[in-house]
Amino acid sequence: MDRTSRIVKIFTRKLFPFILLYGCYLISHGHLSPGGGFQGGVIFGSAIILLGLVEGIRITEKRFREDILSLVKNVGMLIFILTGFSGMFLGYAFLSDFLPQGNVGTVPSAGLILFLNLTIGFMVGTGIAVIFYRTVRHGSEE
Amino acid sequence: MNGINISIVVILIGIYGILTKRNIIKMAMSLYVMNSGVILFFVSIGYVAGGEAAIFESGAPLSKILMVDPLPQAVMLTTIVIGLGITALALALAIKIYDDRKTLNAEKLLEN
Amino acid sequence: MNRIFAILILCVVAFFLFSSLNLDYGHPRGGQSNYYVEHGLKETGALNMVTAIYLNYRAYDTLGEATVFFASALGVFMLLRKDREGGEDG
Repeated sequence: MDRTSRIVKIFTRKLFPFILLYGCYLISHGHLSPGGGFQGGVIFGSAIILLGLVEGIRITEKRFREDILSLVKNVGMLIFILTGFSGMFLGYAFLSDFLPQGNVGTVPSAGLILFLNLTIGFMVGTGIAVIFYRTVRHGSEE
Repeated sequence: MNGINISIVVILIGIYGILTKRNIIKMAMSLYVMNSGVILFFVSIGYVAGGEAAIFESGAPLSKILMVDPLPQAVMLTTIVIGLGITALALALAIKIYDDRKTLNAEKLLEN
Repeated sequence: MNRIFAILILCVVAFFLFSSLNLDYGHPRGGQSNYYVEHGLKETGALNMVTAIYLNYRAYDTLGEATVFFASALGVFMLLRKDREGGEDG
């Protein structure tokens, strides 16, 4: 009962890129349909958790290395704060919307919302994956 | 049987779980159940009778239609993520307590 | 004995919570939400009203929430460390 069955393994390997694609779709269309940074980020992290549960933590570590995921999480937080300060150099307030608005209804519109959604999505997704890696590796290599 | 009644029942289930269970992990899970009840309560308050979802359609005329209240929903998005952070940290602390004291019973942990 | 106390406390809390059902819900929303729904599309250009609220009008709360999530992920990262030997200090 240690290993997962063959059907689950093959099915997960085939399904994994579509779950990632769905997560990226939810992040980038956050201002046009239900979704946004947090929802898409959780699905992004859940795809990595699913792969780690089925294949084992050693093989998943070779593809999604823990130090790179941790670096993305830290840099994402920094980019959020720097985006807030970059409006102040042009004379606006902190975290105010200074980019031009495009056509209503297309993806590159609504000013700073798309950029903040992408930042939050990557930060939450990699944060959940890092929590999962730490919890599993603490108990396994005793 | 609307959302407000059910959310009050979920809050009461969460409070019962915190009061009577002795396992630390079950207490952390009951805290998260209570968090979910509070979120459901706040979202159900902002319901307007006959209103639609808080998203404009792309091709429809963007005029005055009756919408539900979008402000509690925006605040509760933040609350969900904070609840996730609290539960992750509480369970990590439970793992460290088990490594040190070899038990997860709250009464035995208080005995020293 | 423990359960009897728990059920007593639950009865008191349930009395307070269920008596809040007699308030007036379900009316059209008041001041701030009226402004967000009427002027949100013109000022932000986003079709999703909830995203326009928590990333444009109230973006500072989203910054605070991102900080809380970052701190919790950092806390789990620091707690569950596997150092050289079994006993970490602190």
